[in-house]
Amino acid sequence: MATKKELMDKTNAELRQMCKNLGIVGMTKKRKEIIVKALLANQKANTDAKAAKASDQPATIAKPKAKPAEQAPLTSMAYQMQSTLSKPSAKVGDKCTTTLMVSCGANSGSFPVAGRKVGEVKGFLKEALNIPSFPDAVVNGKKVEDKYVLTEKDTLEFLKPAGRKG
Amino acid sequence: MVIKEIKIIGLGGIGSIFVNKLVRFINHCDSGGEALGWNVTLIDGDDYEVKNKQRQEFIFIKNKAVSKLEELNNLVAESIENAIPEFITESNVTEAVRENDTVFLCVDNHKTRKIISEHARTLNNVIIISGGNDYTDGNVQCFIREHGKSLTPSLTDYHPEILDPPDKLPTEMSCEELANSDPQLFFANLTAATIMCMFAYKLVTLPLNEVKICESYFDITSMAVNSVQRQPRC
Repeated sequence: MATKKELMDKTNAELRQMCKNLGIVGMTKKRKEIIVKALLANQKANTDAKAAKASDQPATIAKPKAKPAEQAPLTSMAYQMQSTLSKPSAKVGDKCTTTLMVSCGANSGSFPVAGRKVGEVKGFLKEALNIPSFPDAVVNGKKVEDKYVLTEKDTLEFLKPAGRKG
Repeated sequence: MVIKEIKIIGLGGIGSIFVNKLVRFINHCDSGGEALGWNVTLIDGDDYEVKNKQRQEFIFIKNKAVSKLEELNNLVAESIENAIPEFITESNVTEAVRENDTVFLCVDNHKTRKIISEHARTLNNVIIISGGNDYTDGNVQCFIREHGKSLTPSLTDYHPEILDPPDKLPTEMSCEELANSDPQLFFANLTAATIMCMFAYKLVTLPLNEVKICESYFDITSMAVNSVQRQPRC
């Protein structure tokens, strides 16, 4: 574990290489103070993860202070929900399994919708999955109401009408 | 349940393609060309019309079941036993679908699907594989009952449009209604038939309680196929 002072004594190039090795992205053009801050946050997250593993308790990931430079719109949702730490030793950003399989007819995809209500997801993914206007929702093979809150390991399906012709 | 009696109901765009492939498989399946020994019955009350030649595979212009029986007997089919030139209705469904039957349902209306599905619920051992399509997408459902228990959902369990069908049986339609059918894409029929072949292969290679997939959807425009598992309703 490096202290803040030790990190500040390093050159920018050395700090950027450390970030690269640790999988911390978006630090190429950042000031030294910000890079050091990101490295310290990463160290803290690793320490927390080790502590959680030692006590064999699922841990929650705190909102990271260093915001990745390239962030897809859906990724921001991941920070608002409870996620179990599934791979503590993985790189930052890969520590949690939080995406759920959502499908409608032949269209499907993995989306970070754990903790969301089925009704919300329906509106959110309406165009992406071509969801019909008033579909029934099925979670893990059982029909659910719109107010059902998705948990990890759920699989969500919006029912599409059967083809009529033959 | 030992698969022995096969009923193919509906010989339109999906059925007329599917039956050729299934019969070829039955007679020369992959285990060294051995025949499976299944008996096949073809059921359809409709006549083949030349206007459908772009997507239906027939040689003779007559009743579709009779035509296909004749065609297949000339090719491979020691196992083709029977042709029934009738549409399925509530009055003849008990005769058409019996205990231990495996039904490949390729009809073009939800009302027939409902009649078959509701009747199958009353049987102890039966398998229904039902394919349908719209213009560029569609689905195949698999309803299995073994020892009086549904292993997968019925055709109506998750499909209110089949439970309460908006359409009519062919026997209830006028000549004009029968003539004015919606346009269909041959490739959609072909994809549904291919997925039905996949289900047939599953039935041959897996115990019934391991055929977990109850429905497969396809979409030609997005080039996607998605298979799902669901729990049967009581």
